Amino acid sequence: MVREEFPQFLEWFGPGILLLLGVLAVGALLGLFFGYLVAAFRHGPFEAFYVVSQVVAEAVPDFLQTSPRRVLAMAGLAIKEALRRRVVLVTFVIFALSILFGGWFMDSGSDKPEQIYINFVMWGTQMLVLLMGLLISAFSLPEDIKNKTIYTIVTKPVRSTEIVLGRILGFGFLGTVLLALMGIISFFFIWRNLDHKHMIDGPSQTVAAFVEIDSETMKSTISGKRVSPNAISEATTTIDNGHAHRLEIYQDIRSGDDEALQTGDIVETIKRDDGKVTYHRARCMPVGGHTHKVTVSGTGASATVSLGPAIGYFRARQPIYSDELAFYDRDGVKDDKGINVGKEWGYRGYVDGGSRGNLSTLSRAKFSFTNFDASRFPDADFAPLEVNLGVFRSTKGDIEERVTGGLRFESVPENPDVENRYISEIVEFETAEYTVQTLPVPKKLVGRIVAPDGSLVEEGEYDLFSDFAGSNGKLELSLSCRDVNQYLGCARPDVYFRGKDQPFWWNFFKGYVGIWCQMMIIIAMGVALSTFLSTPLVMMGVIAIMIVGFNTSFIQNLAKVDEQGNLLNEFGGGPIASFVRILTQQNVMQDLETGVFNTVIAQADYLAINSMKLLTYLAPDFRQLNFSNYLVYGFAVDDQQLLIAVAVTSAFLLGLVLCGYFCLKTREIAK
Amino acid sequence: MTTDAADAAPSNPPNSSTEATGATGRLEQTNPDYDPNVVIEAQNLTKVYRDFWGRQKVRALNALDLEVRKGEIFGLLGPNGSGKSTTIKLLLGLLFPTSGRAVVLGENATNVAKNERIGYLPEESYLYKFLNAEETLDFYGRLFDMPAKVRRERVQALIEQVGLGKAKRRQLKEYSKGMTRRIGLAQALINDPELILLDEPTSGLDPLGTREMKDMILKLRDEGKTIVMCSHLLADVQDVCDRVAILFQGDLKEMGRVDSLLKVSGETQIRSQDLPESAHAEIRKIIEQHGGTNITIENPTTTLEELFLGIVRDSEARPGMRSAPADKSS
Ligand SMILES: Nc1ncnc2c1ncn2[C@@H]1O[C@H](COP(=O)(O)OP(=O)(O)OP(=O)(O)O)[C@@H](O)[C@H]1O
Ligand SMILES: [Mg+2]
Repeated sequence: MVREEFPQFLEWFGPGILLLLGVLAVGALLGLFFGYLVAAFRHGPFEAFYVVSQVVAEAVPDFLQTSPRRVLAMAGLAIKEALRRRVVLVTFVIFALSILFGGWFMDSGSDKPEQIYINFVMWGTQMLVLLMGLLISAFSLPEDIKNKTIYTIVTKPVRSTEIVLGRILGFGFLGTVLLALMGIISFFFIWRNLDHKHMIDGPSQTVAAFVEIDSETMKSTISGKRVSPNAISEATTTIDNGHAHRLEIYQDIRSGDDEALQTGDIVETIKRDDGKVTYHRARCMPVGGHTHKVTVSGTGASATVSLGPAIGYFRARQPIYSDELAFYDRDGVKDDKGINVGKEWGYRGYVDGGSRGNLSTLSRAKFSFTNFDASRFPDADFAPLEVNLGVFRSTKGDIEERVTGGLRFESVPENPDVENRYISEIVEFETAEYTVQTLPVPKKLVGRIVAPDGSLVEEGEYDLFSDFAGSNGKLELSLSCRDVNQYLGCARPDVYFRGKDQPFWWNFFKGYVGIWCQMMIIIAMGVALSTFLSTPLVMMGVIAIMIVGFNTSFIQNLAKVDEQGNLLNEFGGGPIASFVRILTQQNVMQDLETGVFNTVIAQADYLAINSMKLLTYLAPDFRQLNFSNYLVYGFAVDDQQLLIAVAVTSAFLLGLVLCGYFCLKTREIAK
Repeated sequence: MTTDAADAAPSNPPNSSTEATGATGRLEQTNPDYDPNVVIEAQNLTKVYRDFWGRQKVRALNALDLEVRKGEIFGLLGPNGSGKSTTIKLLLGLLFPTSGRAVVLGENATNVAKNERIGYLPEESYLYKFLNAEETLDFYGRLFDMPAKVRRERVQALIEQVGLGKAKRRQLKEYSKGMTRRIGLAQALINDPELILLDEPTSGLDPLGTREMKDMILKLRDEGKTIVMCSHLLADVQDVCDRVAILFQGDLKEMGRVDSLLKVSGETQIRSQDLPESAHAEIRKIIEQHGGTNITIENPTTTLEELFLGIVRDSEARPGMRSAPADKSS
């Protein structure tokens, strides 16, 4: 999964509040201005001042006198009304049907069944819930106004806030219940479809069903491929859920017989003359991201082998990302982008492994971690480091070989002038290009302690947690390339420690909170727009805002300009210029001739694109609220982003309630 | 003088003419020249319906001046489309006046706070059809922020009062027109309002129901409430209203006490018991001596119907405001 942003809630909050206040202030000014215009048109310019000031003056008491009982009464009515419309029921039936029959069309034996299922339920839930929110909110108020039932409401001491809030809360409650139901059903749907057991495919469920592997060729008779170097015999399981696993019995040679090594998968224990012990263990080879626990009871050929439930699905990996990534070039000078390797260069920055002429390159990528603490890891013996590196091979290097990378750990003293530093030896590893590989970094690292002046204090084995990160929880990791003439590329999301997994249900819940946020915004938007628009217009409006909202970053990207104010990302200029090019059949690369006409076009384009950009501040960035990718790829939803999503949602709700209040208050109900 | 501490505050000297100061105390403070005896005051109230483009469609109400005093039953009369409902909607803030202003219970008509003390029965009962009578009244009770216990008692009392005891658990969509009207009235009374606006209260009611409605209106007046009703059923208006205003095509044509409006000033009626036939000739002679022309002796008063039809005929012949729609009660 590619992440490009690492927002921190507290850093985001200040500017976020400022932006909200700014938008509210601009909204208030625009509202006053247009309100005055409309009032002036109706009552004349002087009376209009009185009308506008009255609306403003009544707003404060209206908000203060909002009564919870009235809001709840309105919410209750909204719920009854929506239930009567059966939108919620129909939504649920569609969902239930797609869950019932959707399973038939999904291949649980495919490569990544978990991803397919999660993607399906989350995408489906999101679409259904958003559509339902739009439908129930868009119909409600316009229908009340059309039926004139609103007359008996607004002639009671009901504030417009209460009408708007009550509806948002009522529909929100319904949506929440529906979403929760759908979430729980989806959870069990995925669980049930992925959960399965296998039997051994053979005459018996014992070790006797395993066949020897030819020790010359070391090829499997089942898959025809090479097997692990220490495998002795193999078997296969029955096909369940569309797949079968290969089972292996392999040798595990240990220096002594230890209590901790006596696990349930041992078929045979052989004590050798030299004091070492060979265990024959059974294991299940992974398929599609999961495997099964193997349990052996008894010993020898008559030992029965049984397989447990699937493990490996439903992960919520918790990456511990670095707070900062810095690149250093060949001469050890800091530089924020890394070495330029041409087209590849962009997302990833590259470090080089030196050249034949200059072996001692200082090029490296330095990741700085904070709060590096043993309690964040599942196993205190090692810290799993996951890396996903890009490799740029130059033909001068050895193209056949895997490129070797090096890792070095360093402590970061608060006060480098007086404190000693821990520096580890470089740990080398073979890179698996463009796939995630896990490197278990042992807790004990060979290294040295260096005094502030650079002199060696001591050499030895030091603890990653208590020595390196012991003083302040900070740790630096330098990635270098150990192969001459090759390059390794990485970005901040590419290198992370893998902390304790979060419980899957919790992660699933967090993913649904994202959908909930989107739903609440859609509902509030529908209610706010329906205070002054008719149902079809509300729907069109909300859908238009959704389209902007789902493409926020695209639009903001479109509107990027360089220092001279020229559009950066557009060949051939903005919409008008492009249209002129189509009409005049000019190619997009050539600049338009300079002249009055084209200057006007350029300015108009600039305006058009910037007003689009302005729109993106009014429409929520729905992708910012969508966490399904985290779940699909098995990562824990980032708490910071979740907090931001909830805050963004609250801000939108506030703005929409205000907007709905003023629109309803200034609306002539009986017109 | 009341003993209420709030009313005795120095900023608000006790008003000797005020009968009910308790509930209006807050309003008196916000509006210094508020006379608690004037419940509704409309000045130059005008409503022009416009279409989307702001073009004038209908001038539904034209420069209406109106004053309704506390404790009276005020009737708005007029043919269909004369602006009665428009007036009531303006008083409720459901419509915004094109010009002029309306003050209700001392507050601007668009202010929501005044609704605390108002009950409104719309032309048709616009209620939620999927609720039953109890749920409906309970819901509206909540909108007045009434606590649950008060609500329960009030709901039961009102259901009995409007005679829906047998149908209180049925959904409103099953109700007949008259039943809907009754629950509509109950809804308007849920907050025990001081001012009740009734838009054609008797429409759809059977003769018995009409009678009950009229009795109820009179009873409410006796409880000290102010009632504004509009209707084109003249008998109803004549029976219950203390004062009426007659509207025609948005113009106020006539306003005054019902009894004085119906007094035919150019005529004299002589009524006597056991007068022998022979006396008629003598009386006739006396009348002729005094230059009188009319010679029927048993002529009754005119009915409201006649007055009404006369005004309508007259107005069709000479459109525009009547020369002096002065309040004849004063
Ligand atoms: N929403 C509206 N838009 C445009 N014109 C309207 C609207 N409501 C009422 N009118 C017009 O205003 C005028 C007065 O209507 P109003 O409803 O006040 O009459 P009314 O006296 O209550 O009549 P009725 O006895 O039929 O109830 C009519 O000509 C009517 O067509
Ligand atoms: Mg009417």
